[in-house]
Order: sequence, then structure tokens, then C-alpha cells
Amino acid sequence: MKDAHAAEHWMLVEGGRDHRPDVPYASRFESLGLQLPERRLTTRELLASATHHPRIDLEALTGIRERRVCSPGEDSFTLAVAAARDCLAHSRHRPEDIEMLISASISKYKGGLRHQFEPPLSLAIKREIGAQAATSFDLSNACAGMLSSVFVLNDFIRRGVIRCGMVVSGEYISSLDRNAARQVRSIWSKQLASLTLGDAGVAAILERAPDGNPGITFAGFTTLAEHSRLCLGGPAKVGPGAAMFTKARTIHRVAMEDSPPLLADALEETGLSLADIDYLIVHQTSERAIHKGAREFAARFGVSPKHVVANVAERGNTASTTHFVALYEYLEAGRFKPGDEILLLSLASGLEVGVVIFRMDELVDHYGHAH
Amino acid sequence: MGTRIEAVATAHARHGPFRQGALKLADEVARACLARAHRAPGEIDLLVNAGIYREDNLVEPALASMIQEDIGANPGHPPRAGAHGTFSFDVANGGCGVLTALELLDGFMRSGTIETGLVVASDSGPGGRKSFPFPAVGGALLVRPASDGEGFVDFVCETFDEADGVFESAISWHARARRLPLARPGKNVLRVAQGEGYERRVIACAEEATRRFLARHGLDAGSVDLAIVSQSPLGFADGLATRLDLAPARVARVAAALRGAHTAGPIAALDAAIESGQFAAARTILFATVGAGVVVGLALYRK
Repeated sequence: MKDAHAAEHWMLVEGGRDHRPDVPYASRFESLGLQLPERRLTTRELLASATHHPRIDLEALTGIRERRVCSPGEDSFTLAVAAARDCLAHSRHRPEDIEMLISASISKYKGGLRHQFEPPLSLAIKREIGAQAATSFDLSNACAGMLSSVFVLNDFIRRGVIRCGMVVSGEYISSLDRNAARQVRSIWSKQLASLTLGDAGVAAILERAPDGNPGITFAGFTTLAEHSRLCLGGPAKVGPGAAMFTKARTIHRVAMEDSPPLLADALEETGLSLADIDYLIVHQTSERAIHKGAREFAARFGVSPKHVVANVAERGNTASTTHFVALYEYLEAGRFKPGDEILLLSLASGLEVGVVIFRMDELVDHYGHAH
Repeated sequence: MGTRIEAVATAHARHGPFRQGALKLADEVARACLARAHRAPGEIDLLVNAGIYREDNLVEPALASMIQEDIGANPGHPPRAGAHGTFSFDVANGGCGVLTALELLDGFMRSGTIETGLVVASDSGPGGRKSFPFPAVGGALLVRPASDGEGFVDFVCETFDEADGVFESAISWHARARRLPLARPGKNVLRVAQGEGYERRVIACAEEATRRFLARHGLDAGSVDLAIVSQSPLGFADGLATRLDLAPARVARVAAALRGAHTAGPIAALDAAIESGQFAAARTILFATVGAGVVVGLALYRK
């Protein structure tokens, strides 16, 4: 254990102020759930629908060939509920075991493109899945919402206040693609990033880790609020749904400048090197941004993680759900093995920087063909 | 080690063409709260915003991050080793959001994750719409580790069926019936609707949950020295006091301009109780909040 001064982190680190009584437990991911809409929208189709026919090779620029998009009858709520049910189907917990349920989506569409503020979406999800015992609330933190909620649940589980909680997010954000397609004229448009979005629902159950299972070994977050206005989203003026205005290049630049020391701090705290990380999963924006970021990390740290996950080609950027879409699909594909060190790096509007590190365990047994 | 209240601040929007929106209100109360506590913005470890309605109905980023930037709480760049930054996010739980935020801060305080936390809540009608039912009010509350036995003891959040009264708010697209040249085809509009039976229903739910909560701590309504309660719906404070048989002197009352304040209501009530001396005199303090759903959020604070 480091002394109090050495333990001062720029990130807010679970238990990191180091004056605490011993926190008795660890938490771990017990199950994950995923819901993807059936309908596919290719980047080519999306650009063909653009009002001003911008001459942009978006597929080459981002590596995104297609994304899933909601059909009538699907929205943030239905995606979240279906993901929560899938999560429960992979879990040994019943809905009534869930003591805290956090809905972490940015979009809160229920009943079509109707963004509901009150009652909170979390309450509707809790009722729909039968988690009567759960304390529920919504947490919004842009694309960092799911991992920020993991940060919160981790704290409640580690303190022993609860044994089992769920974080869930249904992101119905394809209206931003459609609204951007009406307005984008060139590669310099502040709505260009909106053309990369896809819909998805994810859920995760966290539980008290069994003795000897390290579970989540690091959870830390910070907000570099100097950059809070680089990406702004809200209801659209041109049509139903939302619109988002992003200074994407600036966000990438400041994220690359500011995240390495935070990542280094997280790794040092856990006694790991970047080379010890089996899978680095960053927020999925575009293949180019992910690989460029990975190269910059490699240059900065002198080593690389064993795998850098990029799944945007067929999913696009699914906002707060990206890390969990990737985790789920890698689990289903049998890519992970017990003991793998997984690092989830969140970079989101705010500017939010978060790191969650966990060791993969028998979670792998519940997914894929072997299951 | 739990959490104690260190300072509170409240503000309502000035009238006139330059009235503040939710963000400016939040900035103002956050600064005032820090000033009252003689604390620097950089001391905040965690900033949680529990307000719901804001300018342009912005949904990204979290309003908390913009407040953090505006008040200069470790806005970053570059993050320094050996120093701490600030983390911020929003929670939404209707009129119970402030207690939800406090429960999270209390937890992080107990786990040694934070030493200083700030809860901010403010609401304003997007674009100053006249149909917006709540006054534009902001509140901020600074918390520190409990000391001398003073602090939050317990939080609970209960949900009930809505039964005969509903409260709903949502943004949806309203297309123009006739399309004029150069005019927008329609607009996204915020609608806030409170059913007739809503107030009666939340009072009944809050009474039931409060009696259960107090009994769990070996208390009854007669042991409550001071009740800090939601200010919306408008008749909630009086209604709950009557049902629990709480004397008027034991219920915090806000100034006329703050009546009906939504997410910031409990903070406004606490601020009024501190101002009137009720808070200093009280030993057992009950926080009782209600939100659409129906959600009842309760907390017990002891000195």
C-alpha cells in the first residue's frame, strides 16, 4: 500500500484517497447482455441519402461499413430491456436479486423518438424486467455513462452495501445519422461524427467477487472539463430525434495528449505494464482513430497491449454501449480466456477519461458455442 | 466515515430578458456554496448534477462537466502527477435526484474515494417557455467527511405504482401543419404534464415510505426535529406535514420565489432552515423527496 501522498491520483480512484477503513470486498462482471437491432444501414446507403451529396469517402475515413439501426417499435427503452433480459439469461441471478439498477444511456427514447425525462427510464426498465427490489436511477455522462455507472456500482459492492447490481444502456441514436445526412456538406462539418453512429443495447450485472477472484482491480475517472464544449448534443432542429455537433479532431488531439499520463497512473496502481494487458478496449469511434491512438500509446509507453479491439466496421459508434458491445461479441467469439487482463478506456464528451481494469474469469464459460 | 453538510446555496433566476438558464444558475450557486465554505473549486473531488431541465434540452455532455469548467474545478490540461482532479457526471431521478446524488457521494466518502463532494441541481424552461411549470431555481450543497457524530445515517429509495395520478415529461417532434417557405418543418417540444391525482398520490406514498423508514431506525414522526422536503408538487410539503402530524415549526419553508422548485427544492428548503436557525437547533433531520414514477427518496441526518 502506498503512502497517502504517493496515492494522490489525478483520476478519482475507487478507494484512492487512502485514508479509508479497509473496503471488504471486490466486485466483478457476472454476466453481460446485448441487443442489436436487425436492420442494417450501410455507410454507402446513408451517404446516398444525404441532401447535399457530400463527396466524402466516409467508409475509408472511419472503417465503418454499416451500423445497426432501429425499426419502428424499437427505441432506447426496448433495446435496454432486451439487453437486460439477455444479461439475465446468461446470469445465475434472478431479476429480484438486483439491488441497484442504473440506466446510463444518453438517448432516453421511449415510445418512438420521444425523449423521456420523467419518470426516469431506469424506473421503466426496472419494472419491465421485474427487478422490484432495485434502487434505480439514470446516470448521464455522455459516452462514458456505462463505465461511470460501473464505477458507481463497484463502490457499492466493494463496501458490502449491495451484492448484485445492473448497469444498462439502450442507445437509439440513428436519428442523428439521418439528421446529419440532411445537413452535412463537407468533411469539415461538425456533424460528420454523427454519420458514424449506430444503435445498440447493452447490460452488465456486477456482483460481489468470490474470495480469491480479483474482479475489477482498478476503476478511475476524471473530467478534463476545459474541453467540455467540444461535443454538444440535443434535440434536432431539422427533424425528429437529436443532433450532435462535434469538434472531432480536437477531441482526438486532446484525448491523445491527456490520457497517457492517466493510463500510466492506472497501470502503475495495479502493478501492470501496458504489455501485460491482453485486450485494450477503447471507446469505438472509428478504426483510424483507434489505431492511431494505439500507435501513439505504443510510442509513448514503448510497449503495446497484446490486442487492441476495433469492432466499428459493422457496428459504428454506439455511444455509451461500445465497450460492452465489443466485450460481448469477443466473448461470443471465444476470444478471451480466463486470466486475461482487460483494460477498458473511456474517452467521452466532457472530456471524460476513465479506466476500468479487470481480470477475465469464468465469465467466458457462459458465452459462445461452448455455452 | 459518512458525510456531513458543509455549506448550501440557493438562487432563483432574475426576471427580465437576461434571465439565467439552468447552467448559469448552477454556476452561480456552486460558486456561492464554495464561497460560504471558504473552499476553492479545486478541492472538489466529485461534482454531481441532479438537475433535469436546461437550455436547449442539451443531453450531451453531462451538464456537470460544463459547471466544472465554468467554476474552474481542476478543468485539467495537463493532468498533474501528485495532485487530484475532479470527476463530474449527471444523475436523474426526478425530484429525488439530489438525495440520489448525496447517496452516491456518501458512499464514495465512506470508501475513501473522495473528501469533498458537490451536488448541484437546477432547472429552467428550455428557451424560457411559459408553459414550463417550475420556477427557475438552482441549489448547491457541499459535503465533507462526517465529524463529531454529525452526518447522514441512511438513505432509502422506494418506488410505488402511479395509480391515479401521473407526471410525465418528454421531448417529441411536432410537425407544422402548414409548411411555409424557408420555415422549419416542425420542432422538438418539451411537454411537462402533471395529472390531477399526482399530488395526492405522492403525499400518500411519501407518508407510507417515511413511516416505514423511521420505524426501521426506531423512530416515529414525533422524533423528527426538522423535515427537509421536496417543493414540487406545490402542495407536497404541507400535505406530508399534515399526514405525519409535523408541527409547522418542524418543516423547512422556502421563500415565495422558490416555491415549486423542482430538483433543487430540497436544497432550497435546507438553505431556508439553515437561515432560520431551524437546522442548527435540530438533532434528527428527515429528508423526504418525491419524483414521478412514483419514487420516494428519504434520508436521515443526525447530529
